[in-house]
Amino acid sequence: MNEELAAAVNTNPTLMEKRAPRSRVKRALLMDRLATLVIFAFSMLAVIVVIFIIGTILKTGLLTALDPAFFAGKPQALRSGGGIGPMIVSSFYLTLLTLLISLPVGVGAGVYMAEYAKKGRLASLLRFGADTLSTVPSIVFGIFGMVLFVIRFGLGYSMLAGALTLTLINLPTILRTTEEAVRSVPDSYREASLGLGASRWQTIKNLVLPSAMSGITTGAILSIGRIIGESAALVYTVGIFVRYAPVSPLDPGAPMAANIWHIYTEGALVKDWLRVANGETAFLLLLILALNLLARLVSWYYEKKLGVTG
Amino acid sequence: MESENNLSEIKMRSVGLDLYYGEQKILENITLDIKKHSITALIGPSGSGKTSYLRCLNRMNDLVDDSKIEGKVFLDDEDIFQNGYGVVELRRRVGMVFQRPNPFPKSIYENVAYGPRIFGINDKATLDGIVEDSLKRAALWDEVKNKLKKSAFRLSGGQQQRLCIARVLAVQPEVILLDEPCSALDPIATQNIEDLMAELKSEYTLLIVTHNMQQAARTSDYTAFFMLEEQGKPAGLVEYDDTSLIFTRPKDERTERYITGRFG
Repeated sequence: MNEELAAAVNTNPTLMEKRAPRSRVKRALLMDRLATLVIFAFSMLAVIVVIFIIGTILKTGLLTALDPAFFAGKPQALRSGGGIGPMIVSSFYLTLLTLLISLPVGVGAGVYMAEYAKKGRLASLLRFGADTLSTVPSIVFGIFGMVLFVIRFGLGYSMLAGALTLTLINLPTILRTTEEAVRSVPDSYREASLGLGASRWQTIKNLVLPSAMSGITTGAILSIGRIIGESAALVYTVGIFVRYAPVSPLDPGAPMAANIWHIYTEGALVKDWLRVANGETAFLLLLILALNLLARLVSWYYEKKLGVTG
Repeated sequence: MESENNLSEIKMRSVGLDLYYGEQKILENITLDIKKHSITALIGPSGSGKTSYLRCLNRMNDLVDDSKIEGKVFLDDEDIFQNGYGVVELRRRVGMVFQRPNPFPKSIYENVAYGPRIFGINDKATLDGIVEDSLKRAALWDEVKNKLKKSAFRLSGGQQQRLCIARVLAVQPEVILLDEPCSALDPIATQNIEDLMAELKSEYTLLIVTHNMQQAARTSDYTAFFMLEEQGKPAGLVEYDDTSLIFTRPKDERTERYITGRFG
């Protein structure tokens, strides 16, 4: 029956033509090509802008950035030839300290939201709060951190005050990426695990978290990028210039981004301020690029480990 | 029929079971005896509550918000819905195989070892033994013994479903619930699963939900026919008997109409 019908359609072109006249088919094809071209042009535009920015920064600062006397050197407040060693240490120190505080809290809260709270009123309030927090400009967090941590808690300009401030910025991101990652683990896994007699916590620990690990670590690494690039929130909580690397969490520091801002705005006391600022910017950019690459690698590694690919 | 030898031995029994999802009553008054070391097939049109019933037997319905049960379900004469009954232990004893093969994103070995690990077995030699034994029982060992460390996702659909059965066998259940285990499989894989069920019958009690009339007739000893009389009303059990009787001389006219393909 169907074969007969198909044969009739094939031998009778008018049947096909009635549905889709040739002119209309041609126009559809033309529009298709045009749309593809426009989309391609826009994506190329985005790529060109990115290449232009990265190119400019590297052109002005790459040579300085890769010089050990610069990236491991001592900063100078008045003379030329200063380096940025303590700034790099500050940035890494701050990142580590922030993650130490925000990861356990953020991942814990994210798992709670995805696995336990789900649709409750408390959960939607928390979600709304997190989404709102993540749109607040970081200078607001900076002022808040200064008032609360630096002054009220008496921490002074310190790594700890900065890390606590960055935690406020970071927490919503980690919480939401964790929640999304946990939520995207199929329910069929949970059912199978519970069906085998596993408790809820065993299911989360042995199955859900390992399956969500790719998403959680990607989120964490991307939030590292945000920490390293943050300046406004740290100017009034950590500091903008130091001569020695911080050791104790109560020591002040000068994270790279905050230091760059400082040099550009008031660093003209040293003659080679532009060299230092450009070199530090290039170094920071390379670091952030490396982190993004790392995020990809980690996510790829977990996916491979789970057997999703390859 | 061979299972007539142990007709008297009842493994599970539901008495006047009602199931609610929120306000809506899904199942009404299901009274059914499931005999030990036999295969019981649950048949009926879509939406007739077969799967919902199956999920009462290992309390998987507990996971659905506002599900409520009235009536009783017994496993070896113990009410599984009584206060303080261990759900975790129940689910170990009453295992479940799902409609779509759902292996964990882990290696073949780790899939089977998952249950034993949950119960605290960490000794390598013991786990190796359990994994090998379970895969052999699930008739999968020969196909996977050289790639135990490979991802379970690399297996075919039929192999994945047998892996899921091996995963259940590894926790030494007494009853195995199979929810349309072949609906996503091709005929040859289906044949494999059916052969496997016949093998497993001697040691386990099996319940299978199926839409495939031939499958019910081929594999089961007893058949229960479920039906939804009217949309919005709860589904019920129409008839329950030896499979040979259900398919040759059904007592209820609705059963006859269903198995002869006049509706559903």
